[in-house]
Amino acid sequence: MTLSIGTTYLSGLLQVRGLIPRGTRINVFRSIFDVFLVLGTLVGVVVVSYMLYNAYKYRERGDGKSAGEGKAERPVLGELPTGGGGGRKLFLSFGLSAVIVVSLIGWTYGTLLFVEQTPAVDDEAPEDGLVVTVEGYQFGWEFQYPNGYVAQNTLRVPVDAEIRLRVTSRDVFHNFGIPELRVKSDAIPGQETETWFVADETGTYTARCYELCGSGHSHMVAEVIVMPKDEFREWYRNQSTESDASVDRPAPAGSLGPTAGVTGA
Amino acid sequence: MSDDASTAGSGSGRPAETDGGHAEPDGGAQAETVGGPPELPGGVARDEGVLNRLFGTSDELPPASSIRRWLVTTNHKDVGILYTGTALFFLVLGGILALLMRIQLLAPRAPGQGILSGFAYNQAVSAHGLLMVFWFLSPFAFGFANYIVPLQIGAKDLAFPRLNALSFWLYLASGILFVISFFQGGTFAGGWTMYAPLNVPTFTPEVGGSTAVLALLLFVASVTVSSVNFLTTMHRMRAEGMKLRNLPIFTWTILLTVWMMLFAFAALLAALMILSADRLLGTTYFAAESAGGSLLWAHLFWFFGHPEVYIVFFPALGVMAETFQTFTGRRLVGRKWFIAAMVLVALQSFVVWMHHMFLTSINLEIKTLFMATTIGISLPFDLMVFSLIYTTIKGRIRFETPFLFSFGALLLFILGGITGVFLGAVVLDYEFRGTYWVVAHFHYVMVGGVTALIGGLYYWFPKMTGRMYDEFLGKVNFALYFVGFNLVYFPMFLAWETPRRVFNYPAELQLYHQVATVGAFVLGASFLVMFYNLYTSLWEGEKVGDNPWEYAKSAEWAVSSPPPLENFPGRPSYASGALEFLGVGDDDEPDERREDEGVAAADGGVATGPPATAEASAVDAYGHEVGHGDHDDHHESHASPWPFALGLGSLLVFLGLSGMKEGTFVGGAEGAILLGSLLAGTVVSGVSLVGMGRERFVGPEVEAGEQWPFANVENMKLGMWIFLASDVVLFGAFIGSYVFIRVAAGWTGWQPIPQDVGPGLMNTYILLTSSFTVVLALVASEKRSRWGLIASLSATFVLGIGFLINKGIEWNHLFHEGIWLSTNIRSSTFFLTTGLHGAHVIAGLFVTAYLIWRAWNGAYLDDNRPVEYFGLYWHFVDIVWLFLFPLFYIV
Repeated sequence: MTLSIGTTYLSGLLQVRGLIPRGTRINVFRSIFDVFLVLGTLVGVVVVSYMLYNAYKYRERGDGKSAGEGKAERPVLGELPTGGGGGRKLFLSFGLSAVIVVSLIGWTYGTLLFVEQTPAVDDEAPEDGLVVTVEGYQFGWEFQYPNGYVAQNTLRVPVDAEIRLRVTSRDVFHNFGIPELRVKSDAIPGQETETWFVADETGTYTARCYELCGSGHSHMVAEVIVMPKDEFREWYRNQSTESDASVDRPAPAGSLGPTAGVTGA
Repeated sequence: MSDDASTAGSGSGRPAETDGGHAEPDGGAQAETVGGPPELPGGVARDEGVLNRLFGTSDELPPASSIRRWLVTTNHKDVGILYTGTALFFLVLGGILALLMRIQLLAPRAPGQGILSGFAYNQAVSAHGLLMVFWFLSPFAFGFANYIVPLQIGAKDLAFPRLNALSFWLYLASGILFVISFFQGGTFAGGWTMYAPLNVPTFTPEVGGSTAVLALLLFVASVTVSSVNFLTTMHRMRAEGMKLRNLPIFTWTILLTVWMMLFAFAALLAALMILSADRLLGTTYFAAESAGGSLLWAHLFWFFGHPEVYIVFFPALGVMAETFQTFTGRRLVGRKWFIAAMVLVALQSFVVWMHHMFLTSINLEIKTLFMATTIGISLPFDLMVFSLIYTTIKGRIRFETPFLFSFGALLLFILGGITGVFLGAVVLDYEFRGTYWVVAHFHYVMVGGVTALIGGLYYWFPKMTGRMYDEFLGKVNFALYFVGFNLVYFPMFLAWETPRRVFNYPAELQLYHQVATVGAFVLGASFLVMFYNLYTSLWEGEKVGDNPWEYAKSAEWAVSSPPPLENFPGRPSYASGALEFLGVGDDDEPDERREDEGVAAADGGVATGPPATAEASAVDAYGHEVGHGDHDDHHESHASPWPFALGLGSLLVFLGLSGMKEGTFVGGAEGAILLGSLLAGTVVSGVSLVGMGRERFVGPEVEAGEQWPFANVENMKLGMWIFLASDVVLFGAFIGSYVFIRVAAGWTGWQPIPQDVGPGLMNTYILLTSSFTVVLALVASEKRSRWGLIASLSATFVLGIGFLINKGIEWNHLFHEGIWLSTNIRSSTFFLTTGLHGAHVIAGLFVTAYLIWRAWNGAYLDDNRPVEYFGLYWHFVDIVWLFLFPLFYIV
């Protein structure tokens, strides 16, 4: 308990100082991924180069000797296994790598806390943020809005607004993800998971399923349409509380849609 | 089926009968004689010198060129070769499935496009994962473990040779069963992770799906038997002077692998038993309506699944350590820290599993905890990587094929490991979940492990066959392999946004997938080069002596290639600080042997002579025993037909079980065949178990050596304790599953199934009394009271029957109320958990009956160890009931 209070305080501090990435999910992912990529590549290049360098330097040459001749004891058949010394250097390298890895992950903890925060959304102004329930099934997605309107395989949301998703499944374990918006959540029958995203550009995106769910898994896609705020407000007011099966029929190529779903194999 | 799994798998519900057998000489053994140590096709030049004359022949083992030999052998070297060869077969099968997938992935496919349908593709991807992880990787590693570990520790064989052969035949049976599953409407198509509720018949109804699950169950039985064997061997049969800290690194990795296997596979066993019950009997643990079912599976599977990836990788790490030392000519830098790091990983592997579940509904505190433990487990690996790199410094490095593969493996593992750190950052995992970043990561680390194991194959090939492979072809193999590997897996990082198990990916990623497909074929071609190289070298390769590798130092290089049947000339000992063979030329050294270990555990039922002393033995000038049957000196057996028979029986039983679906057999001809298979298999298995128990089989002698911390615990007893440890985890998982589901459904609102506490209470008293009678039996046998022994064992038997009758009445009453296994989740958990316990009681009663019969014939008065070990088992079963009774009847 004290640990989580302490780390929350620390990350709050770091957030204030701008070291913790904030913003949209895209923003957050990009910043952290870039840092990891740069550091990871650096570490990889350094370590692998060092490996190759040593392998080259101490290779056996044509005369049967190497640069390591006479510098270290050689193993003898039948000896009781012992080590080759060198513990201190090992510890230093290990310590350094541990520091790098732990601080890197510690840094991301602040962002994790940020992502896990769920500020409230106001029902009165859906164009500024709303909660949508996502229900996966074999092999499509159903979206339910706060006013009761239900859509099949198309999710319409306003731009620049926080969209909170409550994700579940009607049958098997799925996973709902919108790759271009960097949001994803497991869809588990009998459970509800929550996540959120902010789309800062209008357009049409694709949502996919990221957990094997049967023979239609490869084509379990949905369309995500990000609309300008006033357009969204218009559209939302015009929806009735009945589910609308005809207007929002999915268009994405290759989608099997709800009617083609086959249970089992 | 749980009954079958536990008896078929361990054979040690009957503690004395595994490899104790009867200590009588092998008067009635096969009359075949053989001249000298096994020969290989093509005729390895037999060493006609001292070694051969010392060992002479094992009169029971047919020559290596005969098929019969391979069916009856129990020698660890033969079993090792069987494992290696069979594993390579499954590698090819899994590889072909991968190539099919890669062809499908050449372009994004709309429904109906490509060579595979959605269902076929899912079968391919699931079978590829299952075959590679279970039927290829570990068995391949254990081929080496079988062959090399006894040599490295100075033992003549594993502790229980027949069980060793049995593990192999169960493994092969399980693999055959898996292949059969393709032909039963399609194999399991829900991913190697088999998530719930996709894994229940509602969503995967094909019979082949059940067969695949049963095949995996049988495989787990094989692994459990193997674990008990290896643990007993490595803890109790090390040469003098070889303390645990002196074990060669390869043996260390196998030791840790086997400890992890014991506990991890018990959890998988529970998961698979519950899944089988859902599929075959209709229980509802994982049904879609079950409140916690989906998450329960995820917890059970990943609790197993994470240690599993280290189980799979550790032997490769061991091979890397061995080859790095040999081919650089240096001892491992920081060796004791390397060992400490490995031990840490083995322990930590059990507390990281929820990093596979970061996107489920677990709460933030738990996610944070597992993020921390996951990063924690990456740190010991950093140390081990550095240790290997530093070992090359000041070395004299020879880039021969084994080292090329090991060195390459380290490189690939470093890349894979770095990408794993990405996945450990929860915020990144939120996006990487279910994408090819995960796929690329685990292929780099796991196939990186395979790379090292191939290095091991080249390294130990000369030892196992007596011939050297072709070095040029080996280098060609490596070049093709390394290029192919990176061509197939690196683009997966670049195309990481592709969802897993999906062949309809965004068009802009197509080029990466095409390159990957080309790489896959290059990688496949490299294996063709390898098979060609090894096969031709088997016949035409240059013959080698004991040690073709300069600086190789472990004990396997101090004996001939291949080693003689009983491994060493004399008794290996490190007491002087280096390897020596003591007592060469003198077969019997009673002072070197511990009195009570002079022969393998005998059950005393048939009158035998006193424990071996030198006197009555007839030996010729070289210490070679003349004839057999003349004394009960330690003349070890090397062959038995029962492991093969029991493997066959198990195959038939499990195949037959696949015909069950939610409580009934499927209809028609298919159902009839499967039912027939079930019945035939039961008969064959039963006969085999009895045969195995009655067989006169003399296992390897346990000589004076290092046995910490089990110096005073005899082999059979240690085996029993280890088996029980695994059983504890099994019941723990079952009880934990019940608790988890009950919490998810609402603890207090859950009405216990038994409406009346009475029968349960009665059964508690019955079992407690039976524990008491078992103690009485031990006391009676110590006092050499035949009637006391028979009476108390019979009382135990009667009480056990009483328990079963009482339970039968209770269940019958419930059935009449319309409450079956499949009625609801409360009945499912009740019947399955108490049923598993009941199956343990039944198994125990079979043993009790056997013990009574033997006691009637005068057994156990001199040597009452079987009664003691049976007592351990029986007390365990009773203790489990003490947990089940309150949980299912009272709270």
